[in-house]
Amino acid sequence: MLSAAQAGLLGCETCGLLSRPARPAHPGHCARCGALLEWRRPNSIQYSWALLIAAAICYIPANLFPVMRTTTLVGSDADTIMSGVIFLYSSGSWPLALIVLIASVMIPLGKLLALAYLLISVQRGSQKSTRDRTRLYRLVEIIGRWSMLDVFVATFTVALVQLQPLMSVAPGAGVAFFMAVVILTMLAVQSFDPRLIWDAERPWEGRHA
Amino acid sequence: MPEPIDRDDLPQATVVRPRRTRISVVWIIPILAAAVALGIAIQRIVTEGPTITVVLKDAEGIEAGKTFVKYKDVNIGTVTAVRLTDGYRKVEVTAKIDKSAAGLMVEDAKFWVVEPRITLSGVSGLSTLLSGNYIGLQPGKSTKSQRQFTALDGPPFIAEQPGRAFVLKADDLGSINIGAPIYYRRLPAGQVVGYDLAPDGKGVTVRVYVNAPYDKYVTPETRFWNASGIDVSVGATGLEVRTQGLISVLAGGLAFDTPTFLPATDAAPANAVFRLYSDRATAMKQPESDGRRYVLYFNETVRGLSVGAPVLVFGLPAGEVTEVGLDFDRTTMALRPRAEITFFPERLIAHMSRDQQAAGKALAGAGPGARMAFLRRAVEERGLRAQLRSGNLLTGQLFVAFDRFPDSPKPKIDWTQDPVELPVVPSTVTDLEARLTGILAKLDAMPFEEIGKELQKDMVALGKVMEGANKLLIDVDTSLMPGLKTTVESTNRLVGNVDTDLKATIEELRRAIASADQVLKSTDSTLVGANAPAQQEIRDALQEIVRAARSVRVLADYLERHPESLIRGK
Repeated sequence: MLSAAQAGLLGCETCGLLSRPARPAHPGHCARCGALLEWRRPNSIQYSWALLIAAAICYIPANLFPVMRTTTLVGSDADTIMSGVIFLYSSGSWPLALIVLIASVMIPLGKLLALAYLLISVQRGSQKSTRDRTRLYRLVEIIGRWSMLDVFVATFTVALVQLQPLMSVAPGAGVAFFMAVVILTMLAVQSFDPRLIWDAERPWEGRHA
Repeated sequence: MPEPIDRDDLPQATVVRPRRTRISVVWIIPILAAAVALGIAIQRIVTEGPTITVVLKDAEGIEAGKTFVKYKDVNIGTVTAVRLTDGYRKVEVTAKIDKSAAGLMVEDAKFWVVEPRITLSGVSGLSTLLSGNYIGLQPGKSTKSQRQFTALDGPPFIAEQPGRAFVLKADDLGSINIGAPIYYRRLPAGQVVGYDLAPDGKGVTVRVYVNAPYDKYVTPETRFWNASGIDVSVGATGLEVRTQGLISVLAGGLAFDTPTFLPATDAAPANAVFRLYSDRATAMKQPESDGRRYVLYFNETVRGLSVGAPVLVFGLPAGEVTEVGLDFDRTTMALRPRAEITFFPERLIAHMSRDQQAAGKALAGAGPGARMAFLRRAVEERGLRAQLRSGNLLTGQLFVAFDRFPDSPKPKIDWTQDPVELPVVPSTVTDLEARLTGILAKLDAMPFEEIGKELQKDMVALGKVMEGANKLLIDVDTSLMPGLKTTVESTNRLVGNVDTDLKATIEELRRAIASADQVLKSTDSTLVGANAPAQQEIRDALQEIVRAARSVRVLADYLERHPESLIRGK
């Protein structure tokens, strides 16, 4: 299958308009929507890696630090994501525990691993299962934002449960790190250019990603 | 296949300034993230406080991650693990202490579990009802740090107020408990901090803390006594009740005071040792340092004579029995009871009149020679003797009484030995016994057998007399009976005659009664019968009287209204 780049053309990533580059080295902006036109996203791999590594670093304190600190008359209680899952499971509401586990633990981790896999496979010029990898990329892109669910729940709880002096909830350091993980992975996914997946199959001349 | 495209028709892209960087700026993000994470990790490591272990009896109310270590109500650490010790006998709690409180973890720091404690003398740890138990800390003075501790059973006494600690020695603990109040002139002045059994098991050591400013009233001469409960004493002056306050009645307490007869001295040093007296009277008693010891040898049982039994001189308390035992006399190879007494001259002096007390004191304070001479005169010339007397007839308690027995034989006393043996006289109880024995002996000596024999002889004689009497009676029967019989017969006949006469008389009487009856009947019909004329007439007469009365009333009414009619007529 011929790619636009092979044909020496550029597809606008925003509006999809196929256009000729102004110059091969500097393709210029989309004539219709004004978006920057690129053969491939510049430094895509590098950007993705940087953001991915940053996310991976933040993932550690996000899980070690408490997400919420509940203070009641009886005392104060700090919960990390995992202790919340364990608490939900041990108190009998395993469906809720499963949701939190999937949304807050498995998805971010899965995203990190999936993106790492995509990056490595692209860098190694793998030609295998390009279609599956493209699908994986789309899945990662779609599913990624749902991890913010946890952050929203935490912020809403903190804002709503302020029954001083009976009970109050304060955000923990973990929630900030967790948010950083979600945002960084989303940005990393954004920086990754999926076109690179199939570039290995059909190399084109002006390739200098 | 795509349609051929007219390339010239496609729009021309615009040119912008080139921007080329080999290594992207985006790497700042992971570097920043790494820096933040590293910074936090370093901070964690730097602020990491010590981890200590505290051995507890049990882990009641202790939970890993939820129980805090507090000092002055400030969280200085959290329990991270609770596990059994190796021998499964106790619980070992691991706690992470904040770095800021690391300096408190020294050798003599004390830990205990703070839980709600309700005692009669106060309620403590109420906040733990809501927050759960926590581990309290009392900092030590040592600078040597330590990481392994053993918790106390209860809260240690924390001297929050200035004052001084003292040590009391007592025979037993009584009803004193930790926290029991100490009173000085009925003001709460301190509390009991702790107690221990003496190492030899004889006695108890009570540690007390007296708050300032009361601690300065504790002098070396101060007496401590047990003020628990109610002290009720009945004396010649009446009923006397002493208490130190409701709490001491319920929870026990101590009191202290300094006897007024002693000179004022400086305050006692901290941790000075005092004796704990059982009550106020004993505590405030005058010191009887110069007690004189004497020994008494009795020739009778000393059952009921116990150590502490009073020694009375002319009925006044003057000392006490300090030892009761046996004495083996080698020369006579005889055992005899021995009692040692201590004699306190002050007690007798106290009974003297005020102006004589000085003289008494002078005598008591004189050298042993003068004292001995005085005693010798009393014993040898005036017959002063010791005697066992029964204090209580029911329990048989004995006491030693010194009285004058001028008739008693002059004793031989070795005045040089120590303690001096004083002469005794047999007790009145024994005296009574002896008399009873004498009576019994006399009874014993009586010739009961002979008396019995005599009696038997008399009885035989009496039997013979009775036999003679019997014979006499038989004689009387045979000689007198025939005559008696004829007499009876004639009497019988006489009675028969009388009987017939009586019958006739009765007949006549009956007839008379019948006629009387008839008379009565006729009277009845005239006066009482239903149609008796007399009754009818009486009724008529009564009606007449009623009518007459009515007319009189009418007349009276008329006259009342018209009194003038008496003069003018109707």
